[in-house]
Amino acid sequence: MKPPTFDPAAPQEAEKLPVGSARTVRAYVRELARRHRRPFAVLVAVNAVASIASMVGPYVLGDLVQKLSEGAHELHLERCVGAFVVALVLQTVFTRMTRLRGAMLGEQMLADLREDFLVRSVALPPGVLERAGTGDLLSRITTDVDRLSNAMREAVPQLSIALVWAGLLLGALTVTAPPLASAALVAAPVLVIGGRWYFRRAPRAYRSEAAGYAAVASALAETVDAGRTVEAHRLGARRVALGDRRIAEWVAWERYTLWLRMILFPVVNATHAIALASVLLIGGSMVINGWLTVGELTTGALYVQMLVEPVNMILRWYDELQVAQVSLARLVGVREVPGAAQDGDEAPDGRTVLADEVRFGYLEDTDVLHGVSLTVEPGTRVALVGPSGAGKSTLGRLLAGIYAPRTGEVTLGGAALAGMSAERVRSHVALVNQEHHVFVGTLRDNLLLARTGADDAELWAALRAVDAHPWAEAFEDGLDTEVGSGAVALSPAQAQQVALARLVLADPHTLVLDEATSLLDPRAARHLERSLAGVLDGRTVVAIAHRLHTAHDADVIAVVEDGRIVELGSHHDLVAQEGAYAALWHSWHGDR
Amino acid sequence: MSLREIPYSDPGVPDTRSGFRFLMWLQRRQLRGQLVATWWGTVFMAAIAAMPAAVGLAVQSVADRSGKGLLGAAALVLSLGAVVSAGDSLLHRAAVGNWIDAAARVQQLLSRKAAELGSVLTRRVAAGEVVAVSTGDVEKIGWFVESLARFFAAVLTSLGLIAALMVYQPLLGLPVAVAVPVLAVAALPLLPPAQKRADEQRAKAGRATELASDTVAGLRVLRGIGGEELFLSRYRAASQEVRTAAVRSARMWSLIAAVQVALPGLFLVFIVWYGARLTADGRIGVGELVTCYGCMTYLLMPLRMFEETAMAWTFSKASAKRAAAVLAIRRTTEDGLSHAGAVPGGDLYDPSSGLLAPAGQFTAVVCGDPDAAGVLADRLGGHSPDAAGEPSTRVGGVALDELPLETARRAVLVQDKDPVLLSGTLRELLDVPSSGGVSAERALEAAQCGDVLSVLAQSLRTVARRADGQDRAAENGEAADPMAARLTERGRSLSGGQRQRLALARSLVADPPVLVLDEPTSAVDAHTEARIAQGLRRLREGRTTVVLTSSPLLLDRADRVVFVQDGAAVAAGGHRELLGTDSRYRSVVTRYEPDDGARTSAPRPSASPSPSPSPSTPQAVPSAEPAIEETV
Repeated sequence: MKPPTFDPAAPQEAEKLPVGSARTVRAYVRELARRHRRPFAVLVAVNAVASIASMVGPYVLGDLVQKLSEGAHELHLERCVGAFVVALVLQTVFTRMTRLRGAMLGEQMLADLREDFLVRSVALPPGVLERAGTGDLLSRITTDVDRLSNAMREAVPQLSIALVWAGLLLGALTVTAPPLASAALVAAPVLVIGGRWYFRRAPRAYRSEAAGYAAVASALAETVDAGRTVEAHRLGARRVALGDRRIAEWVAWERYTLWLRMILFPVVNATHAIALASVLLIGGSMVINGWLTVGELTTGALYVQMLVEPVNMILRWYDELQVAQVSLARLVGVREVPGAAQDGDEAPDGRTVLADEVRFGYLEDTDVLHGVSLTVEPGTRVALVGPSGAGKSTLGRLLAGIYAPRTGEVTLGGAALAGMSAERVRSHVALVNQEHHVFVGTLRDNLLLARTGADDAELWAALRAVDAHPWAEAFEDGLDTEVGSGAVALSPAQAQQVALARLVLADPHTLVLDEATSLLDPRAARHLERSLAGVLDGRTVVAIAHRLHTAHDADVIAVVEDGRIVELGSHHDLVAQEGAYAALWHSWHGDR
Repeated sequence: MSLREIPYSDPGVPDTRSGFRFLMWLQRRQLRGQLVATWWGTVFMAAIAAMPAAVGLAVQSVADRSGKGLLGAAALVLSLGAVVSAGDSLLHRAAVGNWIDAAARVQQLLSRKAAELGSVLTRRVAAGEVVAVSTGDVEKIGWFVESLARFFAAVLTSLGLIAALMVYQPLLGLPVAVAVPVLAVAALPLLPPAQKRADEQRAKAGRATELASDTVAGLRVLRGIGGEELFLSRYRAASQEVRTAAVRSARMWSLIAAVQVALPGLFLVFIVWYGARLTADGRIGVGELVTCYGCMTYLLMPLRMFEETAMAWTFSKASAKRAAAVLAIRRTTEDGLSHAGAVPGGDLYDPSSGLLAPAGQFTAVVCGDPDAAGVLADRLGGHSPDAAGEPSTRVGGVALDELPLETARRAVLVQDKDPVLLSGTLRELLDVPSSGGVSAERALEAAQCGDVLSVLAQSLRTVARRADGQDRAAENGEAADPMAARLTERGRSLSGGQRQRLALARSLVADPPVLVLDEPTSAVDAHTEARIAQGLRRLREGRTTVVLTSSPLLLDRADRVVFVQDGAAVAAGGHRELLGTDSRYRSVVTRYEPDDGARTSAPRPSASPSPSPSPSTPQAVPSAEPAIEETV
């Protein structure tokens, strides 16, 4: 059977962030192992005790069988049973410890991994985030951490337990009767060949199967999310058909992995049966020839049967580890993002923002901005207007220090923004975009991030400055009210006010507003302008204006078209020039 | 039942009266699969249980110095191995088949339910429930339904084994018969607390994941303003809580593991002691002693199966209940069937507000109260769950609420304020039920999507380049077809304005007789909006179009503007005419607030000497006072 042609796990989009190379992954695993050396050693030790204790039973039985078949009169039954009971107590206690230590180790490693990842993520340079978006990171912290959970929680501890256990059993078999160990190993080639065949195919197949199943659920989630759109456009039947297609794709992978196991299972069962038969046959004839005792044979046969469980455990968890490796590569890949600009000696002297012959593009071969120069004097208000895709937003991001120009320079008070760290830049310039993220947590958390040391009075002052105090004061728990998804949901306008209050707290002297209110319902946006006024007061503002009344009030309007500034001047100047801006203004104002 | 038949052309009508009935309904759907699984499960477990007998036979033959007996025993081991092998594989195939059957059937039922409920879902808590059932509950439901067959197989084998022992070795069989039920239920009392702890751990893990994704989603804000350490320490605390809860849960599970070692172990000790004495007395042979020992270790398997089924039941109970509840939801507004089929044409008229949109014209609607606009738009499409009790909107005199839902939607397409872009290629996005009169190219052009197309084509080239590992596509200067580019979920990779324009293009392609658009260009810049207004008008020539907006650029293009205040159409006419005659209208569309006279849009530092009195409610409706003169 061939794997299905459609692979739901195949990337549909280019990875926006790097995936860790084999070397990075290996280095990380080594580091992880070093950090958890002690708990790992403890796990192996308690597991060894539990495994050895579990071997006492067959040993005692073999001993008894030997004595009974020799017709011995004195069985010392009490002593045997006593030893058995002691071993059982040990096995019980140490099995419990093994399970617990295994879980503790797994959880600790998992916690390390996810925390490491977030530490790396929050240190990413703002430019990388702007370009890559957060979608890729988000899928890494959810899907990949999830996949790793299984591996860390179960696969790593279980595999180490199983390996130690199997090794000790083979060792015990050798100690009991060396020929029996070699007799058991007769079956090994069957397992090795079958296992290799299986593991060459399994990890990829399971990844696709899981992705296929996730696709079934996400198609449904999308139908639910888009309920209104689906109904309005009469897409119901198509969504059902899509859901069925996703199920068909997923089931195709289920059939394929089932087929893989239909090969593996007989191989494993055959291995066990062959090992047992060979031990009985070879061992038995040795007993008959007097080279081995019947007691040793009994013990040996029971040990071989005990091998079934650790071998099955290894087969069960090994592919999980292989799948986890891919997720791990995606998590540690974040480490390979080139770091942010070093905080050089560049320190601004003054507040003038200046762009000088700036050229910039997102791809190597295509520039979006073609030699733009612009001076933003402290305290003035500059509006950037122009059609979509003209480069307004890009210019805004360069002025906010998020991207560094390819050629030319963007300076603040004479110092290049590109030479400063994100932390320094943001104490001077802030970019306000259409994302008004309200973090899950208290209202206080949501404000505190802008000025970590602020006291309540400062927080309330900030809320008042943006006109947000009426609704904030209405909250029973005040600043301790839990907001964000799952708690009190703030309206888009309130979310916007929170974002503005953060700016008041962060207090940068220059703001770049990129479509700050454009995602809002224009009817609600009207009421927000008062809040905005409270923030802009006394600051230098570069506004990317969608609404012409914003432009109208600016000191300087720059009309951007095709990556160039084509008109520059005050509202009255530009209207008098009768150019592109004037035409638009007349149309908007209805006074042609 | 074959996996090839999945997905089913008809997943059936489930019994949703209770969770248990739902489980039983699923069970009945796969009766054949259940019987097959039970059969092979019994064969598999019986063969495994017989293995110790073969080992005992071998030991006995060796003790008796019988080479022939040994050979026979080894042959028996191998043939039992073959039976085990077949039983194991075929049981697995049947069981997995049953699981897939149950899971796929529930997923199919859910997707049909979601499609049926449509807009009702977004208004009810049900939305989250449907997704929760699909992502979490389906697996548990499938698990329980599937485990039943193995449970019955385990019961059959255990009974058989006990019966066999009673016949051959009553002395040993009796203790085993007593012990098995005891051992089977021994760990059961520990399961509920263990499950509770596991649930706690899951809840904490969910919370940590939520915090992490929330932090990542807002990372641009954090990097732009600060507070990384604050959020990191918050996440660390949550992550450590997960760890603690997981270890707490592991304590319970390790205890269960210990009980599973200790109790059967004790019984094994008893068997060894008792059996050895019986052997010493010559009442049984050494081989039989080894057989009994082996049987006891093999009994562990059916014992685990009992536990698993008990666990599956406790886990799936709540899941089945939730699934049944979700599948039992119905649309509240019933399809009226007085007018079958025919799509009405003519003027669009809303009796509640008195809004009239003449057939074939471009009508713009300005709402004084922002919150009322969405409700109004919704009502214009008929069958609105929010408008129960209000008179239905009429098209050419026909009440939409009395038409079947499908016909009403065919007659009027309402694009709400937040239309969702479904993931897929751009071609798939624009492939919606339509009249066929408007091509995708024309719609995209009218909605000014040129820049979106080039962005998508660009992304396509990047993917091709990465996939090839070389610049083949780019070097050849091959124009990538943007229609083949994929949009991510909700079009998140695009800007707000780009998303809005694509959604508009989709509605234009549908080319409905009546198109209602609620704020279709609120995130679009003025330059582009002006062009869209022009394109929209040209493309909808002769069709009825209603746009709810306050943008002068759109209003200026309308044949007729209706001003709706407090739920009633209070003025109608041309945009410029209304600007001149209605001060409230002017205040809404030009953003001057008559009550304080201050320009609030962006006051200059010097131009705000005193704080303007803030209205107590932000939505305060401007009163009809003399308008402030325009400054230009």
